Amino acid sequence: MTLLAPAFLLGILAIGLPIWLHRLSSDNPNRQRFSSLMFLEPGEPRRVLAKKLQYLLLLALRIGVLALLVLAFAQPAFWRGAQAGDGEAARLHVIVLDRSASMNYGDRWERARDAALDVIDSLQSDDRGQLVVAGRIVEVLAAPTDDAAVLRQALGVAEPGVFRIDYGQLMRALDGILRSSELAVVLDLVTDTQQSSLPTRFAELAPRRAAEIRIHDVARGPAANWAVDSFGGSALTGELEASVRSFADEPVEKTLSLELNGSIVDQQPLTIPAGGRGQARFAALELAPGSNRVTVSLAPSDDLAADDQRFLALKRPQPRSVLVVSSEPEGRGALYTSSAIETLATLALNAQTSGPSGLTDRPLAQYSFIVVTDAGTLSDSDGAVLTDYVEAGGGLLLALGQRSSGLTRVPVSGQTLRASPVAVARAGTSAAIGELDGTHPALRGVDELRAAKFYRYLGVDPAPEDRVLISLDDGTPLLIERTLSAGRVLLFTSSLDREWNDLPVQPVFVPFIAGLANHLLGGAGFISEAELGSTLAVRALGLQGGQIFDPQGEKALGLSGGTDDVLLDQLGFYEVVGGGASELVAVNFDPRESDLTLIDTATVERWQGLGVRAADQTTNSAATAVEDASAPSPLGPWLLIVLLLIAVVESWVGNWHLRIRRGIAA
Amino acid sequence: MSARTATAQHLLRPETLARLANLDLVARAVVTGFLTGMHRSPFFGFSQEFREYRAYSEGDDPRFVDWNVYARTERTYIKRYIGETNTRLVVLLDASASMGFGSGSVTKLQYAKFLAATLAYLAARQHDAVGLIVFDDKVREHRPASSRAGRLSGVLHAIDRATPGAGTDLEMPFERFREIEKGRGLVAVISDFYCEPEALLKSVRPLAYQGQDVILFQLLDPQELSPVLKESALLEDMETGEAMEVSPIYMSSLYRQRIEAHVAALKKAALGAGADHQLVDITEPLDDVLRKYLLFRQRRG
Repeated sequence: MTLLAPAFLLGILAIGLPIWLHRLSSDNPNRQRFSSLMFLEPGEPRRVLAKKLQYLLLLALRIGVLALLVLAFAQPAFWRGAQAGDGEAARLHVIVLDRSASMNYGDRWERARDAALDVIDSLQSDDRGQLVVAGRIVEVLAAPTDDAAVLRQALGVAEPGVFRIDYGQLMRALDGILRSSELAVVLDLVTDTQQSSLPTRFAELAPRRAAEIRIHDVARGPAANWAVDSFGGSALTGELEASVRSFADEPVEKTLSLELNGSIVDQQPLTIPAGGRGQARFAALELAPGSNRVTVSLAPSDDLAADDQRFLALKRPQPRSVLVVSSEPEGRGALYTSSAIETLATLALNAQTSGPSGLTDRPLAQYSFIVVTDAGTLSDSDGAVLTDYVEAGGGLLLALGQRSSGLTRVPVSGQTLRASPVAVARAGTSAAIGELDGTHPALRGVDELRAAKFYRYLGVDPAPEDRVLISLDDGTPLLIERTLSAGRVLLFTSSLDREWNDLPVQPVFVPFIAGLANHLLGGAGFISEAELGSTLAVRALGLQGGQIFDPQGEKALGLSGGTDDVLLDQLGFYEVVGGGASELVAVNFDPRESDLTLIDTATVERWQGLGVRAADQTTNSAATAVEDASAPSPLGPWLLIVLLLIAVVESWVGNWHLRIRRGIAA
Repeated sequence: MSARTATAQHLLRPETLARLANLDLVARAVVTGFLTGMHRSPFFGFSQEFREYRAYSEGDDPRFVDWNVYARTERTYIKRYIGETNTRLVVLLDASASMGFGSGSVTKLQYAKFLAATLAYLAARQHDAVGLIVFDDKVREHRPASSRAGRLSGVLHAIDRATPGAGTDLEMPFERFREIEKGRGLVAVISDFYCEPEALLKSVRPLAYQGQDVILFQLLDPQELSPVLKESALLEDMETGEAMEVSPIYMSSLYRQRIEAHVAALKKAALGAGADHQLVDITEPLDDVLRKYLLFRQRRG
């Protein structure tokens, strides 16, 4: 029998509680005989800790309930060997070779191959062998065979990878292989017993089909390693920071090199304390237009070179222009809006303020989006020009104001305005935000909008195709989005100055405008970093036509090809080329593989203890019979039944004691 | 106070009497000591001075027949002396479990036995008929009143045999008394009287109607009158076995008020029934109690 979750045994300490409670007594030890209680009145009973335990049967039952509960959580199970084999029966050796990134460390891979060869050489004449490599996924390199040469040949082509391994997932993945065998199975796991590969629950290491587990540890004690575990900075300023983590017992001096588009641009000496972190800050880089490949490297390199580098795709934002149309270009509405837009440094926007006159003559296509501070200032021709601009893919933020009072329809977006004049909040009162669509990308993190007060606004009847993003507490829409062909219009039914509300002087005004601006610009932009082993969703890139190139410069997948996703299985920069643009995606080493701390011997032995000796496994040829006879039998359900019975008896005995204490005849 | 008187009073202390093995000895010691200590007291009727002759009737002690007169007249007369009242005393002794309580060297029952024996001895010395009823929740021993020789010894042995029994029921011994003792006389009830005053009134009143002179000796231990508890305690009723947690504050305040009220209520009930009530602290010497008893006798003629 074994325990699949022995840590729960600590719960046995809870037994102390009933023992303590059963020593707790309301019987006063100061007991005296008195002639009569005729004139006495009971006082407050005193609780004392008696030396002797009371109600021993009840205590035993309660301890039994707790002990069984703890045992049930510890998941006891036993293997039911149906028939004891003679030990000389044929066996299937499933040789699992760990090809995770950490196996690249020093000569671990060579030792792993030697260990696998030893297993192959030790196969008996009736034995069969199967070779499996495990990293991100489990791959069968050689199907079960009694031909050792085949196994050796398959072993020759195996190489270590860059992915992380999770032993829990590995055991689940091996289930199918183990179940399909009609022979007794020996699972020979050749690995470096990396602690970071253990699953959260130890029970996940148990095979679901009886198998003897033999772990061949190729790590040979603790190993020193240093890894660049973070690298980042500002694309706008070009200032970057990197940190290096030590998994060693000694401090070390290293050099960090910063490489920009293939050229080393900076080098910094770095002292990394034992078991700690060293950090380096690099001077501002002169980034080239478009995406830049920035790499930081640690020198001299250690035995695990893959984590000595880290990659970063940086793209300098292109300056873009925004047109702010206002009847008073020097007025507050234009001032507040343009100031907020120019504050958004990461978007690199340049706000140009202009009056409505001459709007028809301007080349509007050069503006990333347009803001109109009061729709009432637009003439019909202005409206027509702006409509063309939006339908061509442009973005428009349209606010209402004093001059919009006489309108019956909103220009460009065309919604019907309710009865003029302006809907005014009651004297001395104001409206506040009622509902806010927090799922909309333009409104993330702007909950503080609820602090703003709205004194005036215009009632707008939204059309079915409109999306109301914000409403006031009286139900009046405050922000409406309408899509026109390839572009979109955001209609703000109050003003952008302080005449109708106090929003411009609220701290949330800038983030609010930033969210709207980002949305009108077309989204959050390109993903510049992805996790190793993840897939690059082509549709999410928004690039039409083109190709993806892996870090070696090889074509990974044509975007117009049959499959939509690219597996990112190499470290470095993936380049996505399409629609006249080029974007980079940096893929980095999984930092969990850098920690080479080993699993302690006791845990390894317990893991091996979860298996069943091959000699004890059934050799029945019927696979189902094998499974039924030798599957691990959890004792949990039986324990729960016994626990239930004891709990019922405990209730009865407890109630009996209670009746006696209350003086009720049983 | 003379040295002789002081010695006599010392002999009357309950703790001293408790060392005497024989109850007969206790009674003699008490009475002798008491009489020694009160030689100047007004109770001089205990002398043997001749008073008158009276015709012998059945039941009279033949020792007191004057044989000289018989020789001359062939008639039997008995001599009567001053101080001889020719009455009878019946002692009702409570031997319930609560009487076994005592915080000192003497329990209430021991004290009650001393008192009962002393009263019996004193009565016998005056040639009064002496009777005894020992009871708890039932009558455990009954000696009808008689002045025959050897009666005192029997009464003393019966008193000596009394041990703490069960609960208290006053009604039954009083009823038994009424059934058997038809003549007038003295009735001394020795008990701690843990009963309702109404129940006492109900039991004693018929005796008063019958013409009995009743004196109630309520014996209480100092720990019952003024209990002192250092910490809360679980007090167990000696009669019922019930236990109750009580606090020191309650015992030093409200309990005292209640027991005092109870004693006062009993006294009032006794008066209402025409009886005399004496509260006796069992640490008191017995001479005080005897003095109260004699005063009571004197009052009742």
